[in-house]
Amino acid sequence: MSSAGLERPQVVAHVQQPLHYTLFDCKWVPRSARLLCLGSAARGTGVLQLHELRGGRLVLLSEIEKAKPIKCGTFGATSLQQRYLATGDFGGNLNIWNLEAPEIPVYSVKGHKEIINSIDGVGGLGIGEGAPEIVTGSRDGTVKVWDPRQKDTPVANMEPVQGESKRDCWTVAFGNAYNQEERVVCAGYDNGDIKLFDLKTMSLRWETNIKNGVCSVEFDRKDVNMNKLVATSLEGKFHVFDMRTQHPTKGFASVSEKAQKSTIWQVRHLPQNRDIFMTSGGAGSLHLWKYEYPAQRSKKDSEGAEMGVAGSVSLLQNVTLSTQPISSLDWSPDKKGLCVCGAFDQTVRVLIVTKLNKV
Amino acid sequence: MRGGESEAGVTGWGEGQVVSVSRRQRGSGQYLVMGDESVPFLLDQGTTKTYQIPIAHLDYKFIEKCTDVKHLEKILRVLRSGEEGCYPELTLFCEKRIEHLDPRSRALRKDKPPATASDFTAEEWETINGELMSWVTEMNEDDKKPQFPGTLHERQDNLPPIRCSSSCLSANQNEKSQDKQRNKKNIPRDYSEWDKFDVEKECSKIDEGCEEKNSKARFFNRPSLPVIEKKIDTTGMTKKEKIFIANREKEKGNEAFASGDYVEAVTYYTRSISVIPTAAAYNNKAQAEIKLQNWDSALQDCEKVLDMEPGNVKALMRRATVHNQLQNYQTAIEDLNKVLCIEPGNAIAKKNLLEIEKKLKSLKPVSETQGKGKRILIQDIEDSEGDDERGENTEESERSSGDKKSGVPVRGEAAAGAAAMGNTHRKFHTKGDGSKAEDRETKKQSGLKKGTSEENPQKHLSDHEGEVNGYLHSYQRSETPKDEKISRSRGAGSQPVGDTSSTSLPPIAAKLKSEGNELFKSGQFGDAVLKYSEAIEYVIGLGEQSPDDLSILYSNRAACYLKEGNCSDCIQDCNRALELQPFSLKPLLRRAMAHESMERYRQAYIDYKTVLQIDSSIQAANDSANRITKTLIDQDGPSWREKLPPIPVVPVAAQLHRWDGGGFTSENNPRSTTDINREEQLQMNCEKAEEKFKTLKNEGNDFIKKGRYEEAANKYSECMKLNTKECTVYTNRALCYLKLCKYEEAKQDCDHVLQIEDSNIKAFYRRALAYKGLQNYQASVDDFKRVLLIDPDVLEAKRELEEVTQLLNFDNSAVAGGQQKQRKKITIQEVTDSDEQEERRFATSEDVTGDVASKETVQMNVPPQTSEKLHISEPANAYDFGQIINAVNTSKDKAACAELLTVTDPRKLPVLLSNKLEGEIFLLFIQSLKYYVVGKDPGLVYQHLFYLSKAERFKVVLALLSKNEKEQVHQLFDALSENQNHQYSWEDLESLKKVYEL
Repeated sequence: MSSAGLERPQVVAHVQQPLHYTLFDCKWVPRSARLLCLGSAARGTGVLQLHELRGGRLVLLSEIEKAKPIKCGTFGATSLQQRYLATGDFGGNLNIWNLEAPEIPVYSVKGHKEIINSIDGVGGLGIGEGAPEIVTGSRDGTVKVWDPRQKDTPVANMEPVQGESKRDCWTVAFGNAYNQEERVVCAGYDNGDIKLFDLKTMSLRWETNIKNGVCSVEFDRKDVNMNKLVATSLEGKFHVFDMRTQHPTKGFASVSEKAQKSTIWQVRHLPQNRDIFMTSGGAGSLHLWKYEYPAQRSKKDSEGAEMGVAGSVSLLQNVTLSTQPISSLDWSPDKKGLCVCGAFDQTVRVLIVTKLNKV
Repeated sequence: MRGGESEAGVTGWGEGQVVSVSRRQRGSGQYLVMGDESVPFLLDQGTTKTYQIPIAHLDYKFIEKCTDVKHLEKILRVLRSGEEGCYPELTLFCEKRIEHLDPRSRALRKDKPPATASDFTAEEWETINGELMSWVTEMNEDDKKPQFPGTLHERQDNLPPIRCSSSCLSANQNEKSQDKQRNKKNIPRDYSEWDKFDVEKECSKIDEGCEEKNSKARFFNRPSLPVIEKKIDTTGMTKKEKIFIANREKEKGNEAFASGDYVEAVTYYTRSISVIPTAAAYNNKAQAEIKLQNWDSALQDCEKVLDMEPGNVKALMRRATVHNQLQNYQTAIEDLNKVLCIEPGNAIAKKNLLEIEKKLKSLKPVSETQGKGKRILIQDIEDSEGDDERGENTEESERSSGDKKSGVPVRGEAAAGAAAMGNTHRKFHTKGDGSKAEDRETKKQSGLKKGTSEENPQKHLSDHEGEVNGYLHSYQRSETPKDEKISRSRGAGSQPVGDTSSTSLPPIAAKLKSEGNELFKSGQFGDAVLKYSEAIEYVIGLGEQSPDDLSILYSNRAACYLKEGNCSDCIQDCNRALELQPFSLKPLLRRAMAHESMERYRQAYIDYKTVLQIDSSIQAANDSANRITKTLIDQDGPSWREKLPPIPVVPVAAQLHRWDGGGFTSENNPRSTTDINREEQLQMNCEKAEEKFKTLKNEGNDFIKKGRYEEAANKYSECMKLNTKECTVYTNRALCYLKLCKYEEAKQDCDHVLQIEDSNIKAFYRRALAYKGLQNYQASVDDFKRVLLIDPDVLEAKRELEEVTQLLNFDNSAVAGGQQKQRKKITIQEVTDSDEQEERRFATSEDVTGDVASKETVQMNVPPQTSEKLHISEPANAYDFGQIINAVNTSKDKAACAELLTVTDPRKLPVLLSNKLEGEIFLLFIQSLKYYVVGKDPGLVYQHLFYLSKAERFKVVLALLSKNEKEQVHQLFDALSENQNHQYSWEDLESLKKVYEL
């Protein structure tokens, strides 16, 4: 165990910082050693805190209070120079903030009737070709795509047919943005539905159900020809879909793995290596995984149609940090192995994952 | 012992109970079935409560023997739960047993706290923290730098339009979708509507613009393949951003590589390189290309890496692999030796070296087993290299330190190179015997040159591959023509280089030059540059006596610069060489390569095209031009040609009429005769011509059907007189020629088509067949591959490709069989080598000896002072013209100059002058026109003046004229207006005057 164990990546808790509010999301500010914590203060207002990592501790740079609790945020649709933060709050508002002047948002829209559960951006930060776009998923059952250059109305909107029950959309993610035209949005719902919307053809490209509520979906990379998608679920399982080969009837091949005995709240791929990802669990644990490709990624079925072959997933490391669920997780885009996670024990933790190069 | 383990082991009874109950309540299926709640608390002492495992199984002996992992996992759970008592040792033993049987068993997963300092050695802990600290400091420093407010707007201009903006919605849709679309922006659509959406229509609308732009690029890709831009638009990006993006693209490449998608990997490496060229990206790309068996590209990438980091072991290893694949065993061995110089302990290098040496030995007896052996070797190399691939990234930081180390190895490298050269040198002496050694030598060289087959005699010109032997070969030969000049036997070529001092160069310069050559051969390019520079200075000091020699010196120095990766100096030297010797092949090729490696693709393309105009059979230039075409299409879209600077028209005399015997003009002739064709066309009634064209074509087609290919070819040729643009006629004629076994003509026709339409599948296919007929299997294979790239379903092409590949392999291994070919090759090489001293060739057949050419040269080189009266004939090319002008200029012989101008077609003037128009010459022209011509033929004077203003450097020269000189020009114009006639109007003259700034 000793020698072999040390060769594996280790997770070091670099900083643990208690906070005075409920933390929903935390994000690294690109090209900096700063991170943002988004959450809800005890009196029901939104909190946005900017911390800087300085010599083994986090220094609070600024704190801003907003009317509604902030559920989620992303830098995905902003340029490296601007670094505007897009947030979704409990009131269904999508706001874009200039962190230098955070008093009024640079863009604001009441996008949804209810809470925005999840947000993702693409086309910024040099990640993803094409227009900068933000996607939001809400409890009102809709998934909307926004272009910061277009006020008030979404550029695409995906919602259930009139009369059909509205499902709570828990998570959204962009993918397939490898050229200016191609782009997909993947959304996960509380009933276990996963839907893949193709924004180029404006069609529902694929859907499946993983039986339990989908807590988090993420493509391994947003800016390549769709390669893999990880979807985590309420009951502790996650599924990895090989998105390269879509079979006409069977869809995408997948492998599933049980990580822990509690909800997997979040999955995040290492920005520097798409085959490594971390899941954060309800029991305060983190699992680091590696996906291994099969020898052949596709094969022909009896009718000659191409179908994908799923690979396997192996656990690289797991740690338990808290007794409370870890609800958010974010890898630093600039420093390999540096990540931040926020848990419901009102603590933000900066972690270092070592030896990711040798995986 | 770890905290987690002991915790699990030492839990007490009560606690364990709680754990197991809580597990049941969580109720994952497995537990529910097994742990039935109805089982009484004290049912049976013989089994455990939870899984009904016999108690006897909780035993060292049983666990040791048990191989059922599932069962063991159950035992472990029971043990951990503590329900049967607490046995830490047994638990541990059971864990170990499971780990032994199935290291990835989920039962082994335990909650662990995060690692702390105690989990690492002090050093590791320090590095971990240190790295983070330095990163934090770096980031904070970056942050304090001012941001770039100005760039914001620029960036937004580059952004693609907003999706589904109202502009792309038109009302002329069918009724159903109409209101849907009207409301589309505001009223949300539901899932079912998403499905009903008219995808095709919407798509085509959205992409209308892009579709057209990409149509050409897509043609090359399979339709199913994703279109990924090969280049990234980096306008308005800061350096940091560029680094970030280049890194990211490289990472994407690495990932694609890891998942086995090498094509994608190459794409992403290319993208990374397009942002910032790094050795690591090139190196990785080389590896991906190796996997794709694109040996040529892999070789180029390795060269690039080695240009940047001469001691890069991986690049050397990879280049060795490529050379091995291309069967350049000698060079492969050299590379491996270099590797071993740097890393004496490199096991893979040693192993490969042994194998290649073995292969080299067994090369003489042609054996069928060779192929098999080779295959195994590839596998080996790939596997091992695949392993370090992953490390590539991680070692980047170490690389910088590696670079410092490489300072030493370079010397070793040079030494190794020198040793190898010694070898080849010896072989070279035996060359006259036509022994196998020589065959292998040439073969190796030919393979080296971008993998083209040995059929292409000229490719040794493309010595940018620049292996020591290659240079040895070409330079040894470059001496030969000079020997011939002084009418020595051809055998003199094998003499020591130092003996050839009796060229037209002064002895000191010749000595410097040969020293330079020697240094170059031994790979000491820096020293060679010094020698050449000395020689150049010396020659210049003597005055402009021998532009040809000076040109060679420049050209040679350019080669050194190219090898050193000093592209800008290389280009400068090439320019000088070309000024002295317009349209000489080597400087053109070198400049092309330099441009290419500086990513100035347009200029490179122009140069390659010029080379091809001079000699269309230089495979390296052909390949490069094709490659660059693709790059340019990627870069500029389908209208890339419009962005090109004009391709200089090579005077006919500078072109090599190698294939005159076939009675067919070379590919660029149609272009030069288009003027005539156009006139003819104008005269003819257009409709009539078209009709005639059609009938002729149909007749040709009929002849083909009847199998009368000769007549068909004739008909098509007639067609071409009417219309040179129609590709089908050329492809059809190519078919006829193929049937008639006139492969060369067929190839020419295909070339022509491909110039017009660079993705004509038929032309590629037929050219491939032609190459096959010409036994140029490598080129043939390339073309077949292109065919398959355009349309992967062409069965014939696949079949042919297999066949040709076999032939190629056979041909490469059949050493003894190639003697006749070799001989032919040598003659051609002799001929082309004479271009070292001058490009002009009067060859009508391949058997032209150097003597004829050299006699000509001697004639030309006669110093003008010696003969009072110059014999003026119409200059055939810029070189001739330059020679005569030089002669005339030195004697200031205005009469001769006037004579020259009268015999010269004014329209050719800009070409003939190329870039050598100088104030003196200009003045001479003006004076001679004024004194001798204007009275006789004012029309001609006007024409000359008109075309003179089109010449390169005209503006410069004009700007430098003195007042006095301007006056002379003015006088000439006055004379012109006095003698005005119908050939030019008064307005013409006035406008021309303006051009002359009068």
